Amino acid sequence: MTKLTKRLGPTALALCIGLVLSTQVSAADLEAGKKIAFDRSKGNCLTCHHIDGGTLPGNIGPPLIAMKSRFPDKDKLRAQIWDATAINPHSIMPPLGRHRILSEKEIDLVTDYIYSL
Amino acid sequence: MKKILTLLLSAGLVATATQAVSSPEEDLEKFRIYYEQRFPGVQLDDFGNGPYALDVNKRLQWESMEEFPPYEDYVDKGREIWETPFKNGKSFASCFGKDPSKVRVKYPHWDSKTQQVVTLEGDINKCLKENGEKPFGWKKGKIAHLGAFLGYEARGQRINVVIPDDPKALEAYEEGKHFYYAKRGQLNLACADCHVQYPGHRVRGQLLSTGLGQTTHFPVFRAKWQKAAANGDGMGTLHRRYGGCNGQVRARPFKAQSRQYRNLEFFHTYMSNGLEINAPGYRE
Amino acid sequence: MKKLLTAFSLTLLIAGCNATTAEKPTSLQAQYEVALKNAQAAVEKAAAVDGEWRDIRWKKSKKRYLPSAIKAAEAGDYKKALELLEIATFQAEAGYKQAMEQKNAGPRF
Repeated sequence: MTKLTKRLGPTALALCIGLVLSTQVSAADLEAGKKIAFDRSKGNCLTCHHIDGGTLPGNIGPPLIAMKSRFPDKDKLRAQIWDATAINPHSIMPPLGRHRILSEKEIDLVTDYIYSL
Repeated sequence: MKKILTLLLSAGLVATATQAVSSPEEDLEKFRIYYEQRFPGVQLDDFGNGPYALDVNKRLQWESMEEFPPYEDYVDKGREIWETPFKNGKSFASCFGKDPSKVRVKYPHWDSKTQQVVTLEGDINKCLKENGEKPFGWKKGKIAHLGAFLGYEARGQRINVVIPDDPKALEAYEEGKHFYYAKRGQLNLACADCHVQYPGHRVRGQLLSTGLGQTTHFPVFRAKWQKAAANGDGMGTLHRRYGGCNGQVRARPFKAQSRQYRNLEFFHTYMSNGLEINAPGYRE
Repeated sequence: MKKLLTAFSLTLLIAGCNATTAEKPTSLQAQYEVALKNAQAAVEKAAAVDGEWRDIRWKKSKKRYLPSAIKAAEAGDYKKALELLEIATFQAEAGYKQAMEQKNAGPRF
């Protein structure tokens, strides 16, 4: 129980920060992020991930749902999108930022969008 | 004296131990066991049917398509190419022997004279040149039609690639193996990432095939290539497919019949030893 | 020497260099020439380890950053040429690094 409260503290804090931050994301930015995420020559997330509203998703990676509970720290989500091989060198996920498949600005937009799922 | 001998011997042992890469036989055994454990219901030969061995719906579609297979015309064209004499009166039989069913199973193989991997396509064009004929293009068209015919004639025989105990042959095998497992291109993907780690999973609507059995159905008729071709010819060689895969992960593809792709074919086909030849195949 | 330089830049001006000042394009051009050599060396280095990526110069690529940069420079657009060379160099270096990191890649059964 103490363990739980200890863990819940920072999580709740991060969640609050996350909520504050995510409220700053405009609808237009979310739409732009979604477009990049769905674009086959850009994020192309649907090749491997289910995203609500996307057609013919692949199933190599986990479905992109409940992202805020899976990534209380939004920066960790961004880091994962930027280079998944940093944590797991064998990861099949392309290093979207490290290999400049997307620009830093595009990574920001995609992160905001994915975080909203 | 005895001491020196022991010393020498242990030094030798150490040397071999540090070089200890697994042998092709060990690689093959582990490769096969991996897929058999992962897909316990799939018969060994069925791995040669790629995604159709892994998904009931895809299999049903494929089976109905196989009733009037789109590659049939190209098998016939290949037969014609086989039978049509060269200008000098000879024919492909003068290079490959009279029985067209005995050709496919010999490839790829290690040629100890030239110290390189020889492929069916390589020998087809070699035969043409030696007989004063213009060689075929490497990736599609006549070379794939002739390959389709030779594959069709060899159906039911088993893949039997031999890796001779020759350091150069082993080097070629190792290079091909490394190629299969190394991430490449801007998307940072290895052949093995999809076909070892995630066979049976979907990328968009496409089901990833197993690395086991990947070469048995080549040359292949692909619906994707059919759509792209003005004349509807969807036939292509294994190296055409390699190039397409490499381009998709945004790596610069190597040339068809390059050393890299021949060595990859050597390893890749060896991994399917014992499986039935089922060429030409159909794929999406 | 100073006189010579002035004369040189004047000549460039007169020659109708398509920018507002004569100095800027010459310096961009000089930057371009250095950047081109660097890019070409990086690409050869990546190619030598079979690590070249698709969009650097492959004939079927739609982007072809390296030849596109040369084309842009030929058309006098050194700014664009430099941008493209930067991408080509990044990709070549990343491809080389990738090939090095993957040197021991193999089965993990």
